[in-house]
Amino acid sequence: MAYYLVFLEQRDGFISNVAVDVWNRVQQEATQSGDKVSGFVAGPLKPTALADLYGNGTIYHASDEALALPSSTVLCRILTTLVAEEACSDIVIGATVTGKRLAPCLAEALHASLLGGCTGGSLQSGLCRRYIYSGLVLAAYQPAAKIRIFLQGREQLRSAFMSPDRPHCVFFDAAPFFVPHDNLFIRSITAGDSRRSIAEANIIVAGGRGMGGKDQFVLLEELASLLGGGVGASRSAVDEGWRPHSDQIGQTGKSVAPDLYIACGISGAVQHLAGLSSARTVVAVNSDPHAPIFDAADYGIVGDVREVIPALIEEVKEVLEKK
Amino acid sequence: MNIAVCICQVPDLPSSVAVVDGALDLSRVAWVMNPYDEYAVEEAVRLKEQFPGSVVIALAAAPEAGKELLQKALAMGADRAVEVRSLPLQDSFQAAWVLAEAIRNIYGKELPELVLCGRESLDLQNGSVPAMLAGMLGMPFTGPVTALRSDGERLELEREADGGMECIDACYPLVISTEKGLNIPRKTGIRQIMEARKKSLEIISASVPPDPLVRLRSAELVLSRKSCCFAATPAELAGLLHQAGLFKTVQE
Ligand SMILES: Cc1cc2nc3c(=O)[nH]c(=O)nc-3n(C[C@H](O)[C@H](O)[C@H](O)COP(=O)(O)OP(=O)(O)OC[C@H]3O[C@@H](n4cnc5c(N)ncnc54)[C@H](O)[C@@H]3O)c2cc1C
Repeated sequence: MAYYLVFLEQRDGFISNVAVDVWNRVQQEATQSGDKVSGFVAGPLKPTALADLYGNGTIYHASDEALALPSSTVLCRILTTLVAEEACSDIVIGATVTGKRLAPCLAEALHASLLGGCTGGSLQSGLCRRYIYSGLVLAAYQPAAKIRIFLQGREQLRSAFMSPDRPHCVFFDAAPFFVPHDNLFIRSITAGDSRRSIAEANIIVAGGRGMGGKDQFVLLEELASLLGGGVGASRSAVDEGWRPHSDQIGQTGKSVAPDLYIACGISGAVQHLAGLSSARTVVAVNSDPHAPIFDAADYGIVGDVREVIPALIEEVKEVLEKK
Repeated sequence: MNIAVCICQVPDLPSSVAVVDGALDLSRVAWVMNPYDEYAVEEAVRLKEQFPGSVVIALAAAPEAGKELLQKALAMGADRAVEVRSLPLQDSFQAAWVLAEAIRNIYGKELPELVLCGRESLDLQNGSVPAMLAGMLGMPFTGPVTALRSDGERLELEREADGGMECIDACYPLVISTEKGLNIPRKTGIRQIMEARKKSLEIISASVPPDPLVRLRSAELVLSRKSCCFAATPAELAGLLHQAGLFKTVQE
């Protein structure tokens, strides 16, 4: 029988969306197979922080104020011990910036198989199918160690798991894991709370060099806010200084998995498409009917973004008003 | 200050990667230095310029590491370039293991103050080697950093957080992975490359690493091409997306 430990990432007293999703997905699989699930969360929590977590199990909560912004070194030390004490077989971590830093540290400490970015498949089989070489090759990886660590992003279908059961929370004493001379100290986080990461958005409107300038992104902001989504960018748009690097989508940017991705003035280079392998529906707006983005799109329109996007905004408004 | 930089190479064009009978065929690949590793080498060389007397050693643990990879590191300003020769490495754990062994062999008990690695290699994008290497060397790890300021004793680092930026105070020793934005790697001209060719490349042999923790079982080329449904007008496009239920979440 498997015993899953889910790392519940805390941010400003809440559990990150990715972690909530991971928890509920693991619960769903575990309910079917009768496996056990526990969770771990570090740092102070708001009273309603665990409200979206369903299913049975124990959540270990290290509530120390000092863990509000924990270093991955401390988290790694705590989890290594918890996994050993509890004899967990599988650890599941959301693929956020923090999760990606923590997972390899844990894999090394526990001699565990780290499987990241797996598309589809179940946790039980352990087989991990993932894209490599800019999304041009689909590889199947197999864990070879006893303990497995899954680093899960939004490549997987969102879980609609609900249950009358709720996990119960117990206090975890993290004091023994602090070392006095930790040489890494996270001083501050800026802009961390207001802007949601593009990696978590369900709808993304992205712009490329074809947008023609920084100012044109106002159009995309408008369309995105209408749809309740975020704005992304191609590398060219980032290199031009039109958008920050944190908005870049693609191989050297973020991998995203929205339900809807609208690419505006983006040519569709393999490196850009590498970040879209898990997007469910792709829409392309491009003036060049032969742009490669159309080969990766479900819906397309050939035209100038400066004309198409304002018109689309009006049409979308109309559709939404009718509902 | 002693600085070790770990470098690797990746295909220049991903489309040159082939799959034969479920196995990867890299025989037609032209290799370049992993772009993230260029930031690491550049940062090491800048620190050396800031703190004269520092020594930068570039290490490449890739069985097929070309001379060009090591020469590029030298041309950028590394003092020594070492090829860590091993059996084919099967996963990040083995790669980190041979690098950790090589660093211990080169530096002995006095481990380097700083080990720099690229955030991830662009071919497989596991991004695991830096953190694993840190664990094996018993050094703290942080990254991927987009800014680094040092006064020789203390470090001020910045790294991307989900939807924001984190500022970190740190001191040596430390393993750091490097992110785009940290610096702009210098271009290497004919003169630097000719000079680099005069320096000797070192080779050290790795022991047989422990078993891999993850194994590649099979691979296939992705030939997926979606069939795009074209709309003639923005109104038609909005209608199609609405019909497909894509505005559902907006309503909620
Ligand atoms: C190692 C490496 C890593 C990379 N990583 C990434 C990455 O992570 N993300 C990424 O995006 N790229 C990445 N790239 C770059 C990638 O190869 C492309 O250069 C880049 O994606 C192109 O961006 P673009 O589509 O915005 O610009 P372009 O290729 O210049 O395309 C602009 C498009 O806009 C269209 N257009 C122009 N004007 C209009 C208009 N008025 N209306 C409508 N359409 C118009 C054009 O027809 C064209 O298709 C990487 C490259 C390398 C070598």
